[in-house]
Amino acid sequence: MNWNDVLSFARGPLFQAALLIFIAGMLYRLVRVIGLGWSRNHVRPKKSQTKGVVMSYLKGILIWPFVPWVKNTFTKNPIIYLAGGLFHLGLFVILVLGTAHMLVWKSLLGFGWKTLPLPIVDWFAAATIVAMVVLFINRLINPVLKLLTGTAEWLNLLFVFVPMLTGYIMTHHLFFQYEVLFSIHMLSVDFLLIWIPFSRISHFVFYFFSKSIHGQEFAKHGVRA
Amino acid sequence: MDGKSIFDELKEKGVSRREFIKLSGAIAGAIGLTSFPSVEAQAGTSARFPRAYQPAQLVAKALASKPRIPVIWLEFQDCAGCSEALTRSESPTLVNLVLNMISIEYHETLSAAAGFQVEEAKRAAMEKYAGQYLLVVEGSVSPKDGGIYCSIGGRSSVDILEEAAAGAAAVIATGTCATFGGLPKAKPNPTGAVSVMGLIKDKPVINISGCPAIPEVFTGVVAHYLVFGTLPALDSLNRPTIFYGNTIHDRCLRRPFYEAGKFASSFDDEGARQGWCLYKLGCKGPTTYNACATLKWSGGLSFPVQSGHPCLGCSQPDFWDGGGFYQGQSAPLSKPAGTLGAMAAGAGVVLGVGSALANKQQKKNAKKSEPGEKGGSHELE
Ligand code: HEM
Ligand code: SF4
Repeated sequence: MNWNDVLSFARGPLFQAALLIFIAGMLYRLVRVIGLGWSRNHVRPKKSQTKGVVMSYLKGILIWPFVPWVKNTFTKNPIIYLAGGLFHLGLFVILVLGTAHMLVWKSLLGFGWKTLPLPIVDWFAAATIVAMVVLFINRLINPVLKLLTGTAEWLNLLFVFVPMLTGYIMTHHLFFQYEVLFSIHMLSVDFLLIWIPFSRISHFVFYFFSKSIHGQEFAKHGVRA
Repeated sequence: MDGKSIFDELKEKGVSRREFIKLSGAIAGAIGLTSFPSVEAQAGTSARFPRAYQPAQLVAKALASKPRIPVIWLEFQDCAGCSEALTRSESPTLVNLVLNMISIEYHETLSAAAGFQVEEAKRAAMEKYAGQYLLVVEGSVSPKDGGIYCSIGGRSSVDILEEAAAGAAAVIATGTCATFGGLPKAKPNPTGAVSVMGLIKDKPVINISGCPAIPEVFTGVVAHYLVFGTLPALDSLNRPTIFYGNTIHDRCLRRPFYEAGKFASSFDDEGARQGWCLYKLGCKGPTTYNACATLKWSGGLSFPVQSGHPCLGCSQPDFWDGGGFYQGQSAPLSKPAGTLGAMAAGAGVVLGVGSALANKQQKKNAKKSEPGEKGGSHELE
């Protein structure tokens, strides 16, 4: 067994299995939640529901992040808000606008897109790593968070941190041979894919789900002009 | 050969002393003797000569004192490309000199003789030089189904290799087919092809991988063996570290563009014209160990990445199955086929619906037993 074989395994059969578990697991979670149902508001919509949904996303992505002080989550704990926000932004930039990762999407989806220059993605990667360390320390010292943090929460942080760190070290060709880091990067990514459906990291699908439902609800309120 | 030193033979061919020293320097360069070699490294040189103070002198002394090395060259499931590359090398002086240092006793493609005669010559050579000859193998071996997919003179490749390896001083596997199985071993490997080191366990096997192997690397290894009487230091895949110590990416002339994130996106876009990095076009340079970027090909003229083609990773095991040649290296090797993905999605949905129904049932039961009914609220606690 040499690293060449480990890499082939992690990029080949293991990745394939992990992706299938991820797809099946996430759909399971989503369908289950939809099946639980939610209390319906039977008021007739006053505005277009589609518009309501669009507005809900626009507000969530383009407005609130830039006026954070109106939100309790910010005023109560700005560290979590800033580090958490930076982490999510960085993750998006790395996974969608990084060249290496775009090529993964391209092979899976059949089309690619323009990416950001590596040095820019690299700054985001560094910032994301710092943000994760801040979140980690925050969990360690914040008394309330400490109570809320169990093994699963520590593992969530760890399983996202390992691919992040190995990706960064690999891009900079530090410490180990490239194929060694590539292997560990891929193994940790495969592991993360399998872990997500069983963990709270799966919140990202629920985010889109609840934003859409709430958007429809928004359309029902207010006065028709 | 017969007692005559290599230098004696070169002299007979009209090589002057001055030329000889120059060539010795070239060989010293080829085997990486750039600085003064360690005392251990010199242990293999003849004791009759005082310690050499310069790499070229060291080589010259070995050439002046040693006879040519007998070589038996076997070909199995190959394309003869390694032999081609060696005999048509663009650095003829160096390769010629090294070819003068060895005496090829048997080579299927190069031998003038054929048929039983040449098989007989091989047998005689194996007897005469038992324990001394270098065995060079080109191509993979096929043990499957009793070896019927590759046989020469009615004998299977496995038989021939085992017999020849038994009397060899060392085995050199040249080219990726012999070192790692290469093209014949690519999925679905119909002939059950295996590499030389997969079969020969009781002899030192040195791997000179590449498709084809770089001629100067082959000659460098032979020169090393001749000068020191030992094989050079090897990596975990039995490749000489002097030539396989770095990746193509480590020494790539396009590397600054990689660092700056400037990639060619097609073979004729502006990036390609500007000589930008070929990562997006499938370059396997970051994980490929070979000397292409330093020794280059055609007498140092160029190498694939320099002339605009991404590295295929030809000196690595299983490179044929290592993902599309023109697909970025980060792309997964295999992706779930449509049906498999649909099945996984279906399974997830079915499980989800099942669990949702179970939840509903639970909710109903809970409602039924709500206030009014005795013991209901108790059950819920
Ligand atoms: C199939 C999934 C993935 C593949 C094939 C993959 C592959 C790669 C490759 C090949 C690189 C190095 C590019 C280079 O050498 O220039 C890289 C970098 C990186 N990866 Fe991944 N990766 C995957 C998923 C992830 C995930 C899930 C994360 C984070 C949680 C991640 C975080 C990073 C980071 C932070 C870098 C460094 C970016 C930089 O510094 O510019 N990767 N990845
Ligand atoms: S062309 Fe290939 S070897 Fe050269 S820098 Fe780009 S990825 Fe590395």
